Amino acid sequence: MTVPLGAFIAVSAGLFFIGAAGVLVRRNAVVILMCVELMLNASNLALVAFSRRAGQLGAGNPLDQRGSVFVVFVFVIAAAEVAVGLAIILAAYRNRPTVNVDEIRGMKG
Amino acid sequence: MPIGPFGIDPVIWAVLRLVIAAGLAVFVLLNGALAQTLLERKVQAWMQDRLGPYHVGPYGLLQSVADALKLLTKEDIRAKLTDAPFFLAAPAIVFTPILASFVVLPFSSDVMGANLSVGLLYLTTLGSMTVLGIVIAGWASNNKYSLMGGLRSAGQLISYEVPQILGLVTVVLYVGSLSMVDITNSQPGPLVNALFLPFAFVTYFIAALAETNRNPFDLPEAESELVAGFLTEYSGMRWAIFFLSEYGAITVVCAIMTTLWFGGWHGPGVDAAPLLGVLWFTLKTYGFVLLFMWIRATLPRLRIDQLMGFCWKVLIPLALVNIMASAVIILAFADPRLALAIVNWLLLGGLVFGLPFTQRRRLLGFRKRTRESVAMRDVRLSP
Amino acid sequence: MFDILEPLLFFVFAIGIIGAGACVVLLRRITAQALLMALTFASMAGMFLLLGAETIALFQVLIYVGAITILILFGVMFTKQDDRGYGLFFQRQTPWAAAITLVIGVPVAFLAFSFKDPITPSAKGGDLIPLAGSLFTDYAFPFEVASVLLLAALVGAIVLVKQDER
Repeated sequence: MTVPLGAFIAVSAGLFFIGAAGVLVRRNAVVILMCVELMLNASNLALVAFSRRAGQLGAGNPLDQRGSVFVVFVFVIAAAEVAVGLAIILAAYRNRPTVNVDEIRGMKG
Repeated sequence: MPIGPFGIDPVIWAVLRLVIAAGLAVFVLLNGALAQTLLERKVQAWMQDRLGPYHVGPYGLLQSVADALKLLTKEDIRAKLTDAPFFLAAPAIVFTPILASFVVLPFSSDVMGANLSVGLLYLTTLGSMTVLGIVIAGWASNNKYSLMGGLRSAGQLISYEVPQILGLVTVVLYVGSLSMVDITNSQPGPLVNALFLPFAFVTYFIAALAETNRNPFDLPEAESELVAGFLTEYSGMRWAIFFLSEYGAITVVCAIMTTLWFGGWHGPGVDAAPLLGVLWFTLKTYGFVLLFMWIRATLPRLRIDQLMGFCWKVLIPLALVNIMASAVIILAFADPRLALAIVNWLLLGGLVFGLPFTQRRRLLGFRKRTRESVAMRDVRLSP
Repeated sequence: MFDILEPLLFFVFAIGIIGAGACVVLLRRITAQALLMALTFASMAGMFLLLGAETIALFQVLIYVGAITILILFGVMFTKQDDRGYGLFFQRQTPWAAAITLVIGVPVAFLAFSFKDPITPSAKGGDLIPLAGSLFTDYAFPFEVASVLLLAALVGAIVLVKQDER
């Protein structure tokens, strides 16, 4: 009994929407960043699952590695985004010592 | 599914094999740590012209047993405000990756946990997971000095992961595989990789000294600086687990150096008796462990900004140049060893002989600027 | 006899992913949230292993658990986290979040089960060599662009947190 592809996609969808709900509801900037990471992970899982499925279409199918390659690029971009995001949070924290996004409203008219 | 000895059911034998293998790994790790505590004290003592532990057992050889008994029976003191689940979990998070690293170390052609095709990447990954445990240990102790020690240690560890991986990449470029067995088999006989990849070896060696928090990079656990850094609030058996994982990490790192640059299990007589490979591997690994201890007894400690500057401004640029040159050479030549040797020895010479020149110029610049600013101050104050 | 091992492992990892992900969104204590996020990442790596992508699983642990979790912990430690709690579930956006999750998310998750193809573990020996081949030949230009992007992020992060020296 093997695991069907749909199970992996369902887990990926579940994690993605949990992360999306977190981004919308939470008020702490660092927690929002963590939920964004969860969403990126969910998309990684979907990409790898479909890449493996495409790889089973035939030996040496040239399409079978695009998903995995894209996952490597998502890793790179996620790392860069966390670094810059935390830098922004720390810079804003220096201005007014809070991480609550409701209170960081200097630009709001 | 193989039938076990005495005709045991295959399923039970598979589970039993797993348990025995895990037990063996823990046994090897613990005994290695015991041996290394004693070795460290004795070696440092001999280098400092004294005797070291001498009372317990013949020539003090049972000192480790006494240490272990003391640590086991010590009272478990816990400050009240520490974050209890994280405080308790931190030693486990640091210890588990080290234990899991033992599965890919190639003790001999037959004696191995698993020949993963990505063995080296696996070891690198486990090395980066210990940093998380150290940060948690520093945070959960609810102690300013522990937190500082933990964050400094984390900064040092993640900075030095980069030269560590860059040093490994050069060897992988040459060998063409990440599997530890393939890397060992690429160095038959006495023509070991260290002869033509010495700069990668030195880069990895220095980075490994920093990764395992050894002198001259042991600021996080320096007793004279931050009490004991992130280990301050840990006593008894919990401290012993941190200690075990440090010596385990030293063993793993020395085993990696042996495999990648010094031929692993190869040595005289291995073809006839494969089990002799275990002896050669252990001897070479402990040779490097002794080198670590020798360096600890000799060199003074670096400050945190000095060691960060050394990593980012010296090691990483030179390692990147090495990788670029190695990649070009490997693509250009059919037998890249001679060209690789030339580039590597040149870079090593540049590092060893060039560093005093640049440091001397920097020091002279500092002195000049300090003298100028003091002179300006005097001019302004005079009426 | 070992047939049940793969679905069992999938179930364990799926519980790890969804459970830890939900805890990240729902809990109050930020250090617990950060470590549960690390648990999500580790379970995700296990899921990648089940899919036969072991290089990507090891990259996941190396990058996410080994670096991003520590970055987030640094961010937590350098800012004062107010645990007062701002009425977690009764924000202005909660109806939107509930709508998106229930109305769109749950049907998507159920429709996902229409992919009925079984994923069998490939016997061709790992994904390291095909991945490396694709990455450095067909996709070498995006690889270089990603390196430049990392450099830009590095410089940008340093510039953002640099304090003027007085």
